[in-house]
Amino acid sequence: MKKKWSIEKIFWLFLMVFSILIVLFPIYIMFKYSISDRASWITGGKYPIPWWPFDPNFEMYNYYLSDGRFWSSAWFSVKIAFLTIIISMGLGAPAAYALARFKFWGIGIVLFLILSVRMFPDVSSVLPVAQFFNLDFVYHLPITLKVAMGHTLLGLPYIILIAIGVFQTIPIDLEEQAQVMGATKFYAFTRIILPVALPGLAAGAIYVFLLSWNEFVFSYFITATSIADVIPLPVYLKTLLGAFSPNPVSIATLSLLVSMPVIIFTFIVQKYMIAGATAGAVK
Amino acid sequence: MDLSVREEKRSFVETIKKNSFLIFTLIPGFLYILAFFLIIVFFIVQMSLTTYVGGMAEASPTIQNFLDLTNSEEFKDAFSRTFMFVIISTPLQLITGLVTAMIVNKSFKGRGIVRSIFLLPLAIPTIVTTSTLLLLFSKGGHITSLLMGDYSWFPAIVDHEISFLSNETLAMGLSILGKVWRDTPISMLILLAGLQSIDESQYEAAKTMGANSVRQFMYITIPLLIPAISSVLVLRSIEAWKEFIFPYILAPSYPILGVLIEKYFVQLNNPGMAAAIGVILIILIVIFTLFLNWLLKKVNDLLVRV
Repeated sequence: MKKKWSIEKIFWLFLMVFSILIVLFPIYIMFKYSISDRASWITGGKYPIPWWPFDPNFEMYNYYLSDGRFWSSAWFSVKIAFLTIIISMGLGAPAAYALARFKFWGIGIVLFLILSVRMFPDVSSVLPVAQFFNLDFVYHLPITLKVAMGHTLLGLPYIILIAIGVFQTIPIDLEEQAQVMGATKFYAFTRIILPVALPGLAAGAIYVFLLSWNEFVFSYFITATSIADVIPLPVYLKTLLGAFSPNPVSIATLSLLVSMPVIIFTFIVQKYMIAGATAGAVK
Repeated sequence: MDLSVREEKRSFVETIKKNSFLIFTLIPGFLYILAFFLIIVFFIVQMSLTTYVGGMAEASPTIQNFLDLTNSEEFKDAFSRTFMFVIISTPLQLITGLVTAMIVNKSFKGRGIVRSIFLLPLAIPTIVTTSTLLLLFSKGGHITSLLMGDYSWFPAIVDHEISFLSNETLAMGLSILGKVWRDTPISMLILLAGLQSIDESQYEAAKTMGANSVRQFMYITIPLLIPAISSVLVLRSIEAWKEFIFPYILAPSYPILGVLIEKYFVQLNNPGMAAAIGVILIILIVIFTLFLNWLLKKVNDLLVRV
């Protein structure tokens, strides 16, 4: 069969290539800057910055990967992210199970309340949260926990939504049979339902990890208004941008180091990213 | 009479008893969100009704913060910038989302990979996207050099170096560009779901009647896509009102409402003013969303009648 090359097809092909280039261009630029040598970014105005460095090297990666400040920030971000996963899964998975199984008239209201917390602009809702964390009786909570609690507020509604979907795919017969055989509801939930739901829930956990890892507003406001000696990675990157004369190589390298785990994870959990990103879109 | 009430009561208690485990599992997560919901509402109202001097509460309750804001030029400017940001970035996201969704909706080899590539912006932390734009558009960066004709393969468009970051229009434009680049995948996914639910036979019928693809797009795709388009407009405009990070990094001297909140809260140590702006922002979002819903309903009714 002969392939037809109509004008329409060429138009779409062109559009596709163009879109792909626009998406990939900034990522390429980041990478290019991160391996640039000095002459490739300090040009003194004699020649424009080259599209590929004269003498590519990985010096800045070496510098960051042996820098204590970077590692302490990264460790701080990892701790926050895992704490966020633990809290939001611990609260979210059981709640989602109830919402998936329990049929009563108020379920819509409960779900609406859970999602409505995301209607507030982050930058508005972070003020009262930061103010609350500065009250005497919570002031001495570890900063990691404070930031993680903020992130949980953002992640929990999504976790509940994703997990409801996961639990709804598990046939109810499974637990009914277990109960017929004399298992308690708690036993049926922890030993039978949870193991079956685990793959879906794991993807939800990765989604929350990404959310926490990328989050800037809560991390920034909460660490800025408490005494914090380390800052999460995105906030660390922001301090580089605000420097008197920002070093593009350093910015680009740190940017890529922050993005790397995210990009890898995203390809694994694409399906669930979609569920999270479009939550509430389906009417 | 008495009996049926008692019966009802008993059945209610029984439902609770029967579902006690489910209620028990629901409560912790629900309480967490409810608690934060109440904290947010209570503290933001309390803070907005308190005046602060040097970070210390001075007088409460007072509407002084709101009065100050109505007289403030800075606030009015920030409001109009935020409004422009919403009005421009939302339709742009609809267009880019529609184009990418229509590309991915076609069947061709490597479609999965193309879709993954289109989803990439969503994966990259926002702060990283802003820093890339900052590098690209800063003085002596690639784009300024490109526009001045420093690269031999590109014609000179301007004769002097443009500083994107110290011009209000350009800086806001840059923030919008970043926002659209990052959030297009979300609109793409919503529209893609809409496109895939359109029955293929409608196109077949149109083709046999001799409709070309432009006509098919105008008379089949767009009308059937109205629910998805409405979703995109509502959800993306809410997100645009909430925007903080792009203008915060790329246009710090030309604050929108979100950036103004940060300025008052962190830099000027005035939580009262910050919270007042926060309250106004929430009210604006609610009003705008109600208005947009009303408008979309009108448009939808109009289209259905035609």
